Amino acid sequence: MNEFSIKSLITFRKTPLNLLVAVIGATLLASFVAGAVYFFLHGHHAFNVTRQHPWGLLISMYVFFVVSSTGLCIISSIGHVFGIQEFQQIGKRAIAGAIITLLSGFAVISLEIGHPIRMIIYNVLTPGLTSAIWWMGTLYGVYMVFIMIEFFFLAVKVSHKWSKIFGIGGLLAGLAAHSNLGAVFGFLISRPSANGVFYPVYFILSAMITGCYLIYIFYGFRYRNEYPAHVIPMLKKLNKILGMLLGVLIFFEAWKIITALYGSMPERAETILHVIQSPTFIFGEVFLGMLIPFLIILLSNAEAIKPMVYASLTGMVGIFFMRYDLVHDTLIYPMDTLKRSDYQLPPGFIDYFPSLAEFAIGFGGIGIAIFLFYIAEKVFNLDDNGHY
Amino acid sequence: MARFAMALDYKNCINCRACESACKQENGILLDKDHYRIWVGVKEIEGEFPNLSIASQAYYPSQCQHCDNAPCQQVCPTNATYYDQNGVVRINPEQCILCTYCINACPYDARYVDNRTITVDKCNFCADTRLANGETTTACQATCPTKVRIFGDLDDPNSEISQVLSKREYKQIKAGLGTKPKLFYLI
Repeated sequence: MNEFSIKSLITFRKTPLNLLVAVIGATLLASFVAGAVYFFLHGHHAFNVTRQHPWGLLISMYVFFVVSSTGLCIISSIGHVFGIQEFQQIGKRAIAGAIITLLSGFAVISLEIGHPIRMIIYNVLTPGLTSAIWWMGTLYGVYMVFIMIEFFFLAVKVSHKWSKIFGIGGLLAGLAAHSNLGAVFGFLISRPSANGVFYPVYFILSAMITGCYLIYIFYGFRYRNEYPAHVIPMLKKLNKILGMLLGVLIFFEAWKIITALYGSMPERAETILHVIQSPTFIFGEVFLGMLIPFLIILLSNAEAIKPMVYASLTGMVGIFFMRYDLVHDTLIYPMDTLKRSDYQLPPGFIDYFPSLAEFAIGFGGIGIAIFLFYIAEKVFNLDDNGHY
Repeated sequence: MARFAMALDYKNCINCRACESACKQENGILLDKDHYRIWVGVKEIEGEFPNLSIASQAYYPSQCQHCDNAPCQQVCPTNATYYDQNGVVRINPEQCILCTYCINACPYDARYVDNRTITVDKCNFCADTRLANGETTTACQATCPTKVRIFGDLDDPNSEISQVLSKREYKQIKAGLGTKPKLFYLI
């Protein structure tokens, strides 16, 4: 741990990039507070969710944050769990990021769940063991404890043995929790476009991709894109891993779409046909989230490091759209079973656009993450301490 | 102990919506567009004027199907949704955390967020207002002028609903999902 004081917490080098991040972080943090106040005054009426579209941007942002957390945990485990030398240096920064993004996700979801205190009580008193949400929430709780202890043994009381033990525990709990989050959608028999094995597997894959993007962003910011010699081999290997993961993701997505369209199964085919024509899918998911980073890796023969930092920024925007579309696409097909009104055409796909309060709280979570990361950088030495 | 269900002779429905009004009145449902426990779906007349198929028009009264294998109950993380001793799918508002997972999971769009309790609500076959008093009726059934709804105990072979289901053909909505719905549409 570093020596720190209130003064050291509020002083930083006033470079343009630092100032930009500080302004963005403070603005987003303020928007979270404003959104939270508005939510406490107006309850769920502050959100644009409806009977037909009961989940919205806040669920998307929760998934976005916990995907980031799980991804960072998985990628960091390459080093300090599986023992790959070059990756051992990312352990502390990645696990700190995993804790921070998880806490940010919890902050966002606590304003989406109608009764969070009741949730804590009845999750224990009357657990719904057939519920993917119960397993997801409980396993994320276990995961948080594991990675916090792991971080303690990485950054405070350094012990390779104990950090590895809790790292394995955190990795397994994180994988279990995150695939259960996929199952929250995969178990929905009422939604043929989401129902099935795809999401539990896809969640783990996209988490690993998110972890790679975030490692690039963390290191790009830390070293201002001028890397010391010991970092370059790790980032080049990360290039190859990310390239392979993106290739698998593109393959998965392609077959998901083809199988959904094939045979024109009612509800599923119409939904997916609608989805693949939407700009959030084409420009958000495909171009920003997959193709731009994939092409850079492909064309540079997995040697490009500096461009990958920028590509990771577009990649994270793409990951956001993947999370947003995940929730929205699951719910867009109208549940109009026997429910047509007089002189009404069959309902089209359900519209949803987040309210200002949803934007403030959802994106405000990024402000919480930036703020906590700033504190973590001040309090702990997140660089490689040479113990490996 | 009973296993309550409802058969709907839906071809007799005249779309007067007295059932919707009775349900709102009996259970104190708020007058919001998303707040309804039951509804009447309308299938428009097919064809173009003057060649209209009047026989193609139909009204479909509907509500929670009180599935024997209810997806909403399976996905509830706190068991707030439960089967009561009469096989009615109920919600305990004290345990509901308003995650709204059940609203997503219900294939029939039978659930909504109730602004009175800030929890999820749906049809409970008038369990609080009638079944608890020993009655075997529901408000929607009692008020229907054309006697579309037949409510009763499936486990009682002499009940009207058991008799009707043994004699007439019926269909269930989205039965292929394995939900085992207990609303029977008489053909």
